[in-house]
Amino acid sequence: MKKNLKYSLILLSICAISTALLALTNAITAPVIERQGQASRLAGLEAVSMGYEAGAQKVVTDDPAVTFMIELKDDRRTAGYILGLKGAGYGGEMTLVASYNTAGEILRVQLLSHNETPGLGKKAENEGYMDKFEGTGAAQAVPTNKSMLNSEDAAAVSGSTVTFVAIGKALEAGSRYVIRLGGKR
Amino acid sequence: MNIKELTKGIFKENPVFIIMLGLCPVLGVSTQVSNAIGMSAGVLFVLLFSNIIISALRNFIPDSIHIPAYIVIIASLVTITELMMHAFAPAVYAALGVYLPLIVVNCIILGRAEAFASNNTVLDSALDAIGMAIGFALSLTLIALIREVLGAGTITLFPVGSFSGVIEVPWLVDNPFKVMALAPGALLLMGFLKAFLDWKAMRKAG
Repeated sequence: MKKNLKYSLILLSICAISTALLALTNAITAPVIERQGQASRLAGLEAVSMGYEAGAQKVVTDDPAVTFMIELKDDRRTAGYILGLKGAGYGGEMTLVASYNTAGEILRVQLLSHNETPGLGKKAENEGYMDKFEGTGAAQAVPTNKSMLNSEDAAAVSGSTVTFVAIGKALEAGSRYVIRLGGKR
Repeated sequence: MNIKELTKGIFKENPVFIIMLGLCPVLGVSTQVSNAIGMSAGVLFVLLFSNIIISALRNFIPDSIHIPAYIVIIASLVTITELMMHAFAPAVYAALGVYLPLIVVNCIILGRAEAFASNNTVLDSALDAIGMAIGFALSLTLIALIREVLGAGTITLFPVGSFSGVIEVPWLVDNPFKVMALAPGALLLMGFLKAFLDWKAMRKAG
């Protein structure tokens, strides 16, 4: 009994010191990480806004793949929407922002965060990776499996099928969401 | 100071090719040289401090609770490394992805704590950690260099000033052996390198 108590106290003291060190590290790093996240998000939104005037951000709760929506205006007329999207990649949740015209066609896509495997799913960060999705969603279906791609694009996603499908399905859900909006807020 | 504790991890007891520890991250992150360097820095930090702390506490931690105590120490160091990299080296943090938190279960860290730091002085444990980390870094970087050159035709380092950080290898950049960038390529290369090093060791032994 006495020995067990001693062991428990030793473990407790190690855990307490570890917790204090982690709290200190978190206090130093959390504001820096928060600032980086906001900067990355702003850069992502700017990259997909296509030069249109962006309205206020609205939280979306009625679609599991869409997290927020921003209306894009062209001289007071609704030109499209920016949607915050999420998908289930190989390494967990992936977040992306995409702009759509009012017909649900994808204009630009930007990957914001992910935990995909380096050398495989992480290829989604590469310049030009999102080209295969842009221009789809209205007349042309959003590619959600490799058989919908040409041989060059299919080779580019080789080894990262789960990541590609996750992005494709999230973008397809976004396109459906925009079509449901029907050009209205 | 026993300098052998420092040098043994580099060749004689190399953690990757001789002791065969920590192979999962070696195979996983060795797709780019920059990933290998980032992972090596993370392992050096965690291994050095875990060996120092565990060696300093070796008479304080009873045998019957040493595993949970070591795991708490190692997990805390890995979390500190992860938070610091996320805040101050975001590119490396993003590149390492899931492999950074997985340092917690890297056999090299717990293996050296158990086999060396728990029975030796703080100085010897620090030297052992540095030697093992250098051995790990050299092995991982060698595998990453071969895989990236053959599998992508590039050598990815870190961008400095006008240097983008990517060196392209003529011909291979347009005609890469893609299998080398995938998991089977990592296993094949590991097997060939291990066989080559064993052959060299047998020849030397006569």
